[in-house]
Amino acid sequence: MNIHLDNLTVNFDDRFQLDEINWQLNSSQHWVVTGANGSGKSALAAILAGAGENLSGSIEGLPAKVGLVSFEAQAELIEAELKKDDADIMDVIAEGTPVHEILNPGDSNQQLIDELVEKFQLQSLVDRAFRKLSTGESRKVMLIRALASEPDLLVLDEPFDGLDAHTLEMLQQYLATLIETVPMVMVLNRFDEFPDFITHIAYVDNGRLQHRIDRSDTKAYNELYQLLHLKTTDLAVPTTDPETAIPTLDPTQPLVRLSSLNITYDGHKIIDSLDWTIERNQHWQLSGPNGSGKTGLLSIITGDHPQCYVNDIFVFGFKRGSGESIWQIKQFIGYVSTALQWEYKVGTGLRNVIISGFYDSIGLYTKATDRQKQIADEWLALLGMSDRADTPFNKLSYGDQRLLLIARAMVKHPPLLILDEPCLGLDDMNRQLVLALIEKICAGSETSVLYVNHHPEDKIKGIENYLALEKREPDNS
Amino acid sequence: MSNNYFNTLPLREQLEQLAKCRFMDISEFPDGVEALKGKKIVVIGCGAQGLAQGMNLRDSGCDVSYTLRQTAIDEKRQSWKSATENGFVVGTYEELIPTADVVLNLTPDKQHTPVVNAVMPLMKEGACLSYSHGFNIVEEGMQIRDDLTVIMVAPKCPGSEVRNEYVRGFGVPTLIAVHEDNDPKGEGLALAKAYAVGTGGHKAGVLMSSFIAEVKSDLMGEQTILCGMLQTGSLLCFDKMVEEGIEPGYASKLIQFGWETVTEALKYGGVTNMLDRLSNPAKIKAYDLSEELKVIMRPLYNKHQDDIIDGTFSRTMMEDWANDDVNLLGWRAETAETAFEKTPAGDVEISEQEYFDNGILMVAMVKAGVELAFETMTAAGIIADSAYYESLHETPLIANTIARKKLYEMNATISDTAEYGCYLYNHACLPLLADFMKDIKTDVIGKGLDLEDTGVDNARLIEVNAALRAHPVEAIGTTLRGHMADMKKIV
Repeated sequence: MNIHLDNLTVNFDDRFQLDEINWQLNSSQHWVVTGANGSGKSALAAILAGAGENLSGSIEGLPAKVGLVSFEAQAELIEAELKKDDADIMDVIAEGTPVHEILNPGDSNQQLIDELVEKFQLQSLVDRAFRKLSTGESRKVMLIRALASEPDLLVLDEPFDGLDAHTLEMLQQYLATLIETVPMVMVLNRFDEFPDFITHIAYVDNGRLQHRIDRSDTKAYNELYQLLHLKTTDLAVPTTDPETAIPTLDPTQPLVRLSSLNITYDGHKIIDSLDWTIERNQHWQLSGPNGSGKTGLLSIITGDHPQCYVNDIFVFGFKRGSGESIWQIKQFIGYVSTALQWEYKVGTGLRNVIISGFYDSIGLYTKATDRQKQIADEWLALLGMSDRADTPFNKLSYGDQRLLLIARAMVKHPPLLILDEPCLGLDDMNRQLVLALIEKICAGSETSVLYVNHHPEDKIKGIENYLALEKREPDNS
Repeated sequence: MSNNYFNTLPLREQLEQLAKCRFMDISEFPDGVEALKGKKIVVIGCGAQGLAQGMNLRDSGCDVSYTLRQTAIDEKRQSWKSATENGFVVGTYEELIPTADVVLNLTPDKQHTPVVNAVMPLMKEGACLSYSHGFNIVEEGMQIRDDLTVIMVAPKCPGSEVRNEYVRGFGVPTLIAVHEDNDPKGEGLALAKAYAVGTGGHKAGVLMSSFIAEVKSDLMGEQTILCGMLQTGSLLCFDKMVEEGIEPGYASKLIQFGWETVTEALKYGGVTNMLDRLSNPAKIKAYDLSEELKVIMRPLYNKHQDDIIDGTFSRTMMEDWANDDVNLLGWRAETAETAFEKTPAGDVEISEQEYFDNGILMVAMVKAGVELAFETMTAAGIIADSAYYESLHETPLIANTIARKKLYEMNATISDTAEYGCYLYNHACLPLLADFMKDIKTDVIGKGLDLEDTGVDNARLIEVNAALRAHPVEAIGTTLRGHMADMKKIV
């Protein structure tokens, strides 16, 4: 068997579409297809059983006999049974098709069916009408039917769902005996359910096959684990520490108000007379080419730019230069940027890096409270990094560092979260990880997000306000 | 000529002042910068230290501006540019000093007398004058108007680190002191503490000291172990390696970056850890060399400390100041002409461990210098905490400057008093070590020990390890480094 999907776009009754799928499978491989709910992972598996309408691209090498088990297939079969019932015009009580007929549509191995019926403990049900079975029972019937059809390819969509522990273990053991004879594609959501014999993993997101990973590639495997964890786990943003709570802001005041802001370098105006107000609960996207002053503008807000003292700046209730300290300003801001990541070159453990967000420091210089440690651990769990709480930050991969710094920025639930090109320098997988985390944050807190990006077209869901800076040519003004 | 203030004091008071040094707990700073709130701070001078301190104070909510001499403003010198570009108000002495509640004198020592003489008549009644080095008060005997409060706040790191550590949310260890003759309202300590908080120093540790202890220990440390020993060691080790046929580029690199590498180990775990980085036979070798060096150099360290205590050092240096720095400039030119200075570091790979293995003599020199400076200072009545900061603690900071641009960079970065003292030490120490150097071969500098068997005698190793750990600089070092455990390595 050698299946080739080449740039394949498949439509499913206009309800869903898989786009530009490229995928090769051969008979020595056993795949898991995974992804979040609604990502298209079931649809991708179903293609292998001939589902969907091929709009463009090609699919070649599909085997003649594909054994498919899925909720959709199960539902279709049950629906068909119910229709039969409706279509019965004779005045007899329709019993529907008995289970034994469903199990063996004609040419299956009856001996194998009997064996499996025993294994699944369905002996007492073989003469009952299929449509009268419970969901769990009918699922078992589907499994036996597929296994006994001696297929060239087994496609099992969430085969372990709803099975009792005993049956689950039996099925896993049974599947393991088949690996030499039949290639398998399983749709699974949980990493801990991946059978040991799985050789490859396909990750589907938003109707696209985003990643194809060889299981022996430990790094990619671990990253995928994290990504799936963030995408699928229903974790809320951890609460913050009431003891280091940020002072309450006057709700009638904007978070930030800049009035005719000027930033000048060597006599050249980078920002010229800019007025900008960020109201509470507004999300903003700031964009502009290199050199347009994005980072300068941000550091005016964060207080890191010395020219914040020579401009008319109002932030979080303070007029800058009126006796406030930068730590009074920074407590209201969560901040993530590539520059921060470069500066954050410390051997501090991950838990302490997150706790340092309570103090806006690089490194931790105060003894953390138990409550803070607990919150940090909740964040580590959310990031799927619980086992690395004491790993030095500088030993982390670049992408993981970025995730951790976002958690550090959010740990105190700041009124304003500034994300300065949060995906810069990240590969696709890590980019998706970061965006998944940001989505979680936007959905689960009252923080205003200021998202800075090079490209104005690169938009984030939920952001409705845009400020685009332009690069100013030297004018000696 | 000026009057040496220290020499006017009775012995009892001299000893009392020399012994002043106490590590303050962070809980002693509950009022933060409150004592400076609403006060107008005017900084004189905008070099690296002045700029860093001013920026930190402003970011802590203080009102900071800079005053420069009219010429620096008219010619738009670097100090004017630094202050202006960072958004500070800049004005002349006449414009700003009369408005100041606190004046921070952050000019080089050499300028203190003319600067203080110029600003003192302009200062408000009851204002505060702050120094970051006590030379002018202690050695030159500057008399400050009775109504003025005089304090010292001295971050024990270069300006760039003062700023960087603050931005990270931390700070650098800082020494504070009040000049007791000038504390008319008794507010000196409160102001000094607030100032230390404003620059972030309270987070890294504040030492409460005296003007006298600061000056006498600072001068001693900088001219002996910190700058003098590293300069003399660089020149001797380089010449020896070249004489023994080591490739000059390699020799140059081994020294330029070697000091930084071996003193990094010193910073983390004291002399013990620095020697623990060597193999057992090399450790014993380094120990023996350092013992020999200590015997040869001890009279020189004693002389430096004696000259500092009785004012001979400052008097001769001030004579050179008055003589247009003839000595200083001559020595500076001489240093630039040395073979080490003129040979660029070669394009060779030297691993971190190799700096130890092939630099046994350098390790021995650092050990001898640190211990001698510490022993001499404590013998002169300076308390161990002070002596630790002025010897061991600052050695890695100076070594970093050599790694950047050799001796030129070191001498350009350090204070004028340090540079002068460094040359004095170097001139005396070079001939002193001439005989010692005759017996030195590449096994202890350049190539490392050539051993088939790295075995050592147990009894001897135990003896050396015990001696290393028993030195008093190690005991105080362990305590003080514990306070600073938060100062994580910035890779």
